[in-house]
Amino acid sequence: MKRFDHWLVTTTLLLACLGLLAIYSSGGAYYFLRQLTFLPVAIGAAVAVLFLPRRILYGLAEPLYGLAALLLIAVLFAGTGPGSHRWFVLGPVSIQPSEFAKLATVLMLAKHLSVKRSIRFEFRDLATPLLITIVPALLVLVEPDLSTAFIFAALLAAMLYWQGMRPLHILLLFMPALSFAAGFSLYTWIPFFVVLAILLLIRSGVTKALIGLAVSAGFGLLSPVVLASLKGYQRARIMSFFAPWFDPHGISWNAIQSQIAIGSGRLIGKGFLLGTQKRLGFLPNRHTDFVFSSIGEEFGLVGCLLLLGLFFWLLRHVLLAARLSDDSTGSLLCVGFAAIIGYQVFVNIGMLLGLLPITGIALPFLSYGGSSLLLNFVMVGLVINVVSRPE
Amino acid sequence: MAARLTRLTQVLLVLLGILAIRLIHLQVVQGPRNSRLSDRNRIRKLVLPAPRGRILDRNGVLIADTRPSFTISVVPTELTDSALPLLARLLGIPEQAMREQLKPVAMFTSPVNVKRDVTIEEVARVEESRFRLPGVHVRVDPVRHYPTANRYCHVLGHIGEVNEDEVRRDTALRRLDFVGRAGIEAWYESLLRGRDGSEYAEVDARGQEIGALPEKHAEPESPGRDLVLTIDDRLQQLAGRLLAPYPRAAVVGMETRTGAIVCLVSQPDFDPNIFMAPIDPATWDSLVSNPSKPFFNRAVTSGYPPGSTMKPVVALAALRQGALTRETRFQPCTGSFKYGSRFFKCSGAHGSLGLISAIAQSCNIYFYQAGLRLGLDSLTAYSREIGLGRITGIDMPGEKPGNIPSRQWLDTRYGKDKWGAGSVLNFAIGQGEVSATPLQMAVVYAAIANDGRSVRPYLVARIDSAGRTIHTTVPEVSQLPMRQPDIELVKLGLEHVVEWGTGTKARIREISIAGKTGTAQNPPRPDHAWFVGYAPSDAPEVVFAVLVENAGHGGAVSAPIAGQLIRAYFSPDEPEPEKPAKADSLAPEPDSGPAVPADIGLSPVPP
Repeated sequence: MKRFDHWLVTTTLLLACLGLLAIYSSGGAYYFLRQLTFLPVAIGAAVAVLFLPRRILYGLAEPLYGLAALLLIAVLFAGTGPGSHRWFVLGPVSIQPSEFAKLATVLMLAKHLSVKRSIRFEFRDLATPLLITIVPALLVLVEPDLSTAFIFAALLAAMLYWQGMRPLHILLLFMPALSFAAGFSLYTWIPFFVVLAILLLIRSGVTKALIGLAVSAGFGLLSPVVLASLKGYQRARIMSFFAPWFDPHGISWNAIQSQIAIGSGRLIGKGFLLGTQKRLGFLPNRHTDFVFSSIGEEFGLVGCLLLLGLFFWLLRHVLLAARLSDDSTGSLLCVGFAAIIGYQVFVNIGMLLGLLPITGIALPFLSYGGSSLLLNFVMVGLVINVVSRPE
Repeated sequence: MAARLTRLTQVLLVLLGILAIRLIHLQVVQGPRNSRLSDRNRIRKLVLPAPRGRILDRNGVLIADTRPSFTISVVPTELTDSALPLLARLLGIPEQAMREQLKPVAMFTSPVNVKRDVTIEEVARVEESRFRLPGVHVRVDPVRHYPTANRYCHVLGHIGEVNEDEVRRDTALRRLDFVGRAGIEAWYESLLRGRDGSEYAEVDARGQEIGALPEKHAEPESPGRDLVLTIDDRLQQLAGRLLAPYPRAAVVGMETRTGAIVCLVSQPDFDPNIFMAPIDPATWDSLVSNPSKPFFNRAVTSGYPPGSTMKPVVALAALRQGALTRETRFQPCTGSFKYGSRFFKCSGAHGSLGLISAIAQSCNIYFYQAGLRLGLDSLTAYSREIGLGRITGIDMPGEKPGNIPSRQWLDTRYGKDKWGAGSVLNFAIGQGEVSATPLQMAVVYAAIANDGRSVRPYLVARIDSAGRTIHTTVPEVSQLPMRQPDIELVKLGLEHVVEWGTGTKARIREISIAGKTGTAQNPPRPDHAWFVGYAPSDAPEVVFAVLVENAGHGGAVSAPIAGQLIRAYFSPDEPEPEKPAKADSLAPEPDSGPAVPADIGLSPVPP
């Protein structure tokens, strides 16, 4: 143990304890006790990976990645979930293979990217990392779980950046997909195109900029063409696939209620267990995806900012670990994990605050759920491993 | 590395900063308002039910509408333990049943309907006890209403409450919603059903509404589409009256050139309004146990042996095959025909007849021999070609195709070659195993009247949305393999039927009618009476198929009904006769006006 990072341990445990309180308050004793039994298992797993020699871990990258892909395929056929195929139900527990796939993908990418000195905007450099990311992302997308599929894009972007790729090139890499997505409506596509045009003209040559804009325009134009060629019911199906929140019955209701719950907490909250909105039973997943609304109601702005502070501190130390590590694979691992946690924190809280559409993304360390808690702890265990045990 | 760490930390700070700013906005800036909504008040999502689309006849007579009704709903989370038994007692619902009904929605914070269409007395009782009934609401809902009661029951069908399975499959449906269960109501369900709207209301702790929250995603309801039918209410009424004396009967009237149905009645009928409110068990039992099956649409979903109304089809088939010409004379009719060891009967001893007279007098002996010469396979093939044995494609669910006793069908039914060659004889006079619906016969005769151009029957002429026409039905016409000289012969025969043959009782003074009687054997019960005819015989516009079950001779019972309907069709402004015309009182009415020129009859559906 060269440099054991106590802050990582402290903030993680604090977050988990806050989660337990919020689960007790919103979900009741049953879910509290279940989460309480998950916690030692998660801590045990974190300690185990802490002492795992990283050489062995890196050697396992391909088998783990393969296993993750197999599980993602299997869950499409044998899985359950609300209108989708996301979980395996094994007796009393349900397992979400996409949680595991995120970690396996980070590991695989880290192992592959670490041998490169720098990443240029070239097919030779990008083909493999793109392939590694796209396979699990597509499998998650067809579950369908759009918001989790986006995590793969986030972690790829973060890791490419960490390995030295220019932000502009990263933007260009994601540009066709972004342009296609924005092309569904002129109101989103025109601002997108203008910003892209300005960026490209400032940061690269005119020729390159024109090529980039042409490609972008092509993908953007493709989108309405694809949309128009579909029949009405197919379009509706696509809309509900890419925009599951586009459902006037219920979802906006949840969003309104979670905003009222959080807003009514005001500065210091109503006090632990004294929240009223949750008792009305308006939220379907109040101890899982909506757990933050209970924190907002009972602990107020102070509690929420404290929680955001804890997440900042945690992520800051994960990134520090990446910086301090002399092992480039380990360093990339840390960045990938930071991207996963950061994405989930922002999307989960953002949707409860009405900034983002409601989707099924859990709040790391706080939301009820065994597999997510376990893998969050495994990530922290690995980060501590990277920072404290030189190869 | 250090630069990248700084950059990533900055990104992180920006993202968390956005969240923090929004938190401050919600909890500090909007804090008092959210706090008020949460602490003293609750907001509730209210459903604004969309009225079902109206249904009108071709002249705008309202035949299905919505009327306001009271619905009692509860907000399950606000219902106290003592309120439930009280409410159950006031509404006359068993307490246990109400508990069962509310169990799956126990955590709902929005109103759930518990009883629809409650009486004003029940509303008064609930309002009196309001202070003891927190969470109970009275709402005014639009419900289906049929001002014409029984008259259109088989055209419109009826609507019924959704079942749990349908609620699960269709997210737009909620418990206690109504959907079409038969007829037009079912076929056009997706158009007739509007989209419910919603608004968010602020309510106080006792569940009383304080006001709407206009800025919160209010969505106005959009009413269902209005349907304008091809039916003429005047004819529909008259047909209902003419069939009223008979326990089981059906009439279909159709424009020969377009396929627009002008009347469609099946007897016995029922009042579709009974499905709106909880049905009185006695009424329900009497409907369900009625052996005549009132819910059964005899015009469209019941196949009958067509009897002699089949003969024109046989004649056309035989003429086309060359098995018959106008002059063909068969073995003379002596009242019976020996085939193999069996005797096949006729209604009289007609002697030696030509084709025209054979149709006019409906001679079986002639058509046995025509059928034999034609052969089973040719007759089967031709029957299929002109539309028997398959559905007509009317815009109504449950249509039956009838049956054609083809070689293949007989083989499956009786075993390979285990059936007698006599089958073709019965087939040729429309008895035995051949069957067709009154609608099918109307379509077949329309094709004859129309010189071989067959139409697809339809009931909805126009679809309107908010007073604007969004769809107008275009008639579908297809050419059948009939030769013009053959058609002329058969049409002449059909004119003679009414002129001096078996169908003289269909005759009216104003218009010349052509048609065919039929008497379908139904052992051991009395025969079914058929008449299918069109008018004017020289330039046909409308066809009527009349079937009266177990009433005896088509010429005596059904022909006069068709005559009355045709008279009414061509004299739109004439007041309807006071009493339904009976079979024996069909002298032309002395006071009826001069014949109305054909071109001022009912105009076809506007384009």
